[in-house]
Amino acid sequence: METSSPASAAPVTRSLATPSKASEGRDGAPEPTLIDIRALDFYYGAKQALFDINLAIPDRRVTAFIGPSGCGKSTLLRCLNRMNDLIDGTAVKRGEVKIRDVDIYGPSVDPIELRKRVGMVFQKSNPFPKSIYENIIYGLRIQGVKSKTKLDEVVERSLRGAALWDEVKDRLHESGLGLSGGQQQRLCIARTIAVEPEVILMDEPCSALDPIATAKVEELIHELKKQFTIIIVTHSMQQAARCSDRTAFFYMGKLIEFDETHNIFMNPKNPQTEAYVSGRFG
Amino acid sequence: MPPESSTTPAVDSTVRSFRIQKERTRILGLTWDECIQGFFGGNAFVAVIVLGLITFFLFREGSSFFTQNRDNLTIYRQAGLEYVDFGRQQEKDHAALSRYLSDLRLRTLRHYTDQEGLPAKEAQARLAEFDRFADRFSSASKPLRSLLSDLGDVAVDIKARHQNNLNFAEKRRQLLAAGKTAEAAEVELVPIDYAGEVAAITATLPDFAEASATFAKTLEDLIATPPALPAPELTERLTRFQALTRDYLAGFPATLEAMKAWDPARPVPLAQSFTAFVFGRQWLTASFWQDWYGVMPLIAGSLLVSLIALALAVPLGVGAAVYVNQLASPTEQRLIKPSIEFISAIPSVVLGFFGIAVLGEFLRVASGWSFLAWVPGFPFAERLNALTAGCLLGLIAVPTIFTLAEDAINNVPRAFKEASYALGASRLQTIIRIIVPASLSGIVSAILLGLGRVIGETMVVLLCAGNRIAIPDFTAGLGVVTQPVHTMTGIIAQEMGEVEPGAIHYRALFVVGLLLFFIALLLNFFAQKIVRKYKVSIG
Repeated sequence: METSSPASAAPVTRSLATPSKASEGRDGAPEPTLIDIRALDFYYGAKQALFDINLAIPDRRVTAFIGPSGCGKSTLLRCLNRMNDLIDGTAVKRGEVKIRDVDIYGPSVDPIELRKRVGMVFQKSNPFPKSIYENIIYGLRIQGVKSKTKLDEVVERSLRGAALWDEVKDRLHESGLGLSGGQQQRLCIARTIAVEPEVILMDEPCSALDPIATAKVEELIHELKKQFTIIIVTHSMQQAARCSDRTAFFYMGKLIEFDETHNIFMNPKNPQTEAYVSGRFG
Repeated sequence: MPPESSTTPAVDSTVRSFRIQKERTRILGLTWDECIQGFFGGNAFVAVIVLGLITFFLFREGSSFFTQNRDNLTIYRQAGLEYVDFGRQQEKDHAALSRYLSDLRLRTLRHYTDQEGLPAKEAQARLAEFDRFADRFSSASKPLRSLLSDLGDVAVDIKARHQNNLNFAEKRRQLLAAGKTAEAAEVELVPIDYAGEVAAITATLPDFAEASATFAKTLEDLIATPPALPAPELTERLTRFQALTRDYLAGFPATLEAMKAWDPARPVPLAQSFTAFVFGRQWLTASFWQDWYGVMPLIAGSLLVSLIALALAVPLGVGAAVYVNQLASPTEQRLIKPSIEFISAIPSVVLGFFGIAVLGEFLRVASGWSFLAWVPGFPFAERLNALTAGCLLGLIAVPTIFTLAEDAINNVPRAFKEASYALGASRLQTIIRIIVPASLSGIVSAILLGLGRVIGETMVVLLCAGNRIAIPDFTAGLGVVTQPVHTMTGIIAQEMGEVEPGAIHYRALFVVGLLLFFIALLLNFFAQKIVRKYKVSIG
């Protein structure tokens, strides 16, 4: 793992070294698809927000969604764990989203079970007004886990996984709201990995953080992708370039281009993508 | 002349002048802006001033109660009423034992007619032996009673003359104030030799001791040979009666000691006047014997009714708030919210009327249904009681609790809810583990304000609580809720119209008002404090 200051540059270098063939990973091995989105149309009431999205997200890689505000990238992210269900009047009118070949909008799917497998980290850090310890084990508590040793173990593992253990190990029972902004966001990540999901969705996780805290979270993302499939929505193209393996560019509710990250930034095929990544609009 | 004015034209010089002075209209030396500011400020401070005035007048009217009550207690002692009350207490306890016997007689009679199927006449005949026993038991106190009655007459007479003197003194003061010195001199106070006259009462102590001893002997002999009763359950009660009587007799020497040690000249401390009010178990006014101003029965009544009200209103109000905010569809919200808020618009006298005519009657009838017999206190005969009043008060508190609790729940950041769902929590888990704990302080303060609303409510309790001034019998367990009670608010509304301003009774009502005022103040204070803390914790 890179140390924190060159962390910003190193991933880009590495992704540039990645072969450009979409079906192959950086070692040249074929990348299995985890999430397969086909012909997805999504509506907020009468307003269509996503148009005919087709996207195959690889397992244990970081995929970034970029695009100007209102392009539908966050909406698509929230489709993946059905968080949109909580908003009245939203509907997937056409198409399907398959995770491990299971249609998550199928009739027998329980969104609650789905969300245990597809965790989410939000734009603004939102720890519960509880202790750090209670925040981490919330997901297990609601699943009915009672064993103290198991919970202690999960707390330590999750906090270590989120690179927060050394900073908070002496004050696990103090309020999570007492942490700094960056620590709170890492606490939220720790809380998400505590339930051992397969996918972690990150909705602009660094937009409220200062550059140092941002660097720490990005470093963390590199670590996490060994275990989890990560999809990150970001407004910062540098961030997408630094941490993602693949990048999808959205515009006006449509997927414009999806490719290896270095291709999107260095050699975009679509003129709109090129205009956006070179900063001419958006 | 400055050189520039000669070189530049006149027009130019007016254009370039920098005129910022302006004559402003002034009313009483204030500008228009300041007047408007003063108007708004004045309106805002009216509330503060009114609160101050209310507190001041409550204190002014109520404060002399404690000295007046001390005088009231002093004359109770000086006139020997206190002394006679030792004996009267003994007599009252004896009467209670006699009532126990008549209850036992009723049970025995029922046993004969219901269990053994005897005709009424036959049953009465079988009770003859028991009746002789009971008669002898209750008439045993006759000599004691007549002695106490004589003593009581003397004591009441002293007190009456004392009261007359007070009235004369007041009359004289008024005449003097009107400048009629001659007429004032004519009003004569009859001096009373308290010590001497009370000595005549205390001198009868040997007589009392003797009468008491005879009385005790009679009772002892009587309970040694109890009548036979037909069922073991009844005999058991009779044994209990014997034990009670023995306990009663064992208290005799202590009473005698207290009477011996009694000193009419001992001063009544002001603190006693205070404790007699706060912990007094009797609120008894316009009595020929002695007035008592003990607020305990009223506090107990108010508390009992409020607790019943909260027991209903908290689940209803908080439950409705959670439902409306978290689970209800927009249509349901549009229906439920205005309905609940409309309840607070119903005049409480209408609710009270409804309570008397419908709810009270319904509860009384319902309490007689056999499948509800397991409910403590059921069945009951009083249509107006704490339960009826509590139900209606609960209804009154629901809108307060609902509105404030819903606000509190609404203030829980949406992010908490989303985070909970994203971790795989169900709606119910999110509500119980996140939403309610995060809004708990707001909910608690809503409950406190609801309690304040309920304790201060007057009309409903006056109409529906039954207005019996007595501490409810808490030994009845939960059944206590079906007893009639009187409340602090109810007593003020009921009695304030008929008391003479300045009299001790009038003052006592003001002190009750003061007490209510402070309870309301405290509840509001804590509610606000909790809300403030809660706002900080959410950030």
